[in-house]
Amino acid sequence: MLFLKECKKVIFSLTFWIYCLIVVLDFTSQYYPDCRKAASPPYDGYKLSEDHGRIMEGAVKSLAEGYLANRYICYPLGFYKAVKLNEKERGQIEECLEELTGLSAAEISALDESAEKYGVYDGLHEYTGYTIESIPLSDTLTYERFTELMGKVDDTLGGGSDFKPDDLVFHFSKETLTKEEALKEYADFTDKDRITGALARLFSDYAGITLGILPVFVAAALTAADRKRRMTELVYSRRISSFRLIFTRFAALTVTMFVPVLLTMAAALIQAVRIYGGSNISYAAMFTVPSFWLIPNIMEAAAAGMLLTELISGGAAILVQFVLWFIPLLKDSGMLWGNISRFTLICRHNSLFYREQFITHMGAFVFSRIFYILISLILVLLTVLVYELKRGGRFNGVRLFGESGILRRKA
Amino acid sequence: MVFGCLVRAAYSDAKHNYLIHYLLAVAVVLSIPMLFGVNDLDAKAAAQPLELMMPFTGIILMTPVFMPEQDENIRDTVRAKKMSYELVCLMRLLMAAAVMLALTGTFVLFMKYCGSDVSFRHFCGAAVSAAAVGSIGFFTAAVSDNTIVGYMAAVIYYVMNFLLKSRLGMFYVFSMSSGSFSEKKWLLLIAVLLSAAGLIGRRYRTNMM
Repeated sequence: MLFLKECKKVIFSLTFWIYCLIVVLDFTSQYYPDCRKAASPPYDGYKLSEDHGRIMEGAVKSLAEGYLANRYICYPLGFYKAVKLNEKERGQIEECLEELTGLSAAEISALDESAEKYGVYDGLHEYTGYTIESIPLSDTLTYERFTELMGKVDDTLGGGSDFKPDDLVFHFSKETLTKEEALKEYADFTDKDRITGALARLFSDYAGITLGILPVFVAAALTAADRKRRMTELVYSRRISSFRLIFTRFAALTVTMFVPVLLTMAAALIQAVRIYGGSNISYAAMFTVPSFWLIPNIMEAAAAGMLLTELISGGAAILVQFVLWFIPLLKDSGMLWGNISRFTLICRHNSLFYREQFITHMGAFVFSRIFYILISLILVLLTVLVYELKRGGRFNGVRLFGESGILRRKA
Repeated sequence: MVFGCLVRAAYSDAKHNYLIHYLLAVAVVLSIPMLFGVNDLDAKAAAQPLELMMPFTGIILMTPVFMPEQDENIRDTVRAKKMSYELVCLMRLLMAAAVMLALTGTFVLFMKYCGSDVSFRHFCGAAVSAAAVGSIGFFTAAVSDNTIVGYMAAVIYYVMNFLLKSRLGMFYVFSMSSGSFSEKKWLLLIAVLLSAAGLIGRRYRTNMM
């Protein structure tokens, strides 16, 4: 049976064993230390109030302080970047501030005198920082218009600022949990999540990082194996349809790569039973949530690996998937929960608590998982098309350079 | 005569097999100012863009040294040649190192021009980090006879540096960003040993095949 043959090919590949090793190491070094002790209420935790007034006030105040200093701290890739604007760009920020506050340009400049000044030394230079006690908001300003203007500000700053519309709630409505709220979070953990629901989210958070990239290596190695072993022509000449062959390979890749993840889920469940006892926990949650969360990641990385290896090369597949994986991961490194959107590839929820936040984003979470399953299937269909063209001798893969390269052709 | 053949082989390799890798490495370096601040940084902050981004040039340039011979038809042709295959690989490795050093040096000078507090130490530290990560890919590709496995090992090592940080001890490639330079001598040693071991391992593998 072809499926079993393909599974065997995957299992006997070196990339698959490295994949298994990393999945196990990830489980033991990341998830296991976080969960080996019984959880206690998150007294030092925080919540996102999502209060529009609070968000607008905080963001406009922070923007005005940055404007006065002409120094904005951004984190485009999760790393520090100090942005200094030229006169034209500064003028754009000033226009936004005028609309946000209802103040004139002269009144905004006058804030310089009333603001508290302090020195900031960054190791090389000393700058003047500003603290504004309060700043008015325009009476006619709506929250929708506010987010539009913040989007404009973020674009002017080159992205990655605190003013990015999607991140405003996170940056400007954070509040420390009260003792009652911390106890309620713990009650949600034990009663609503029945412990394993929360553990499953944390498990998926850690495993999702690994599964966002590693399957591409296994898929690229399997796809390139025919060419490497001079088997391409032999396979091309077989009767089997390209559709069946490629989809069987894809299924074999997805199933074999899911097996080690399934085993770590079982290990996580055993650990949960040992710590919390078996009577109050949900056994199914430790398998259902991570499966729905992680299978789309395996599918997407495997499909992208197959298509790009067939189309260009294994190196190109790894490069593209690495960029798709690494940049969002770094960008969102400060927001480890409550930040799932409809197109999030690597969903994060790095906490046993904040169930309500996860439930709030449940629609987006379900959408993203189904979206990436569909994207994977489309990518596999495209792989079938490319394979069929190569099989018929009408296409030999994209080559940028060399004899048949698209950038250079020899006469 | 041998030198002339080597130069011709190097030119041909660069043109047909590695130009795209060189261009990609240049693209990585050009992307740094878009992703990180490079103006007016102190010595510690200036190390961050260098140590985080330069290892990518190591992965891109050093891992695919054995890539052309992944195709067994090409390998058969190479085997029939009089010129030593290991010598050609060594020359490819030296060319990769030269491009890597040139890119690192140029970017360090650019940071200096932007007012950051960078020195020769930054150049050495960033180049050694790039060479260490690249040599992991080079060695693994050599012994496994699979460039994809090489990329996999190098990427895993890079990501481990993010996750485990200074717990990696002398293997920590981002040490300069946290103010320590002592790891660099070990990383240089690792890069040299793995490169040499990769070439020797490749010789054994080629003889066995």
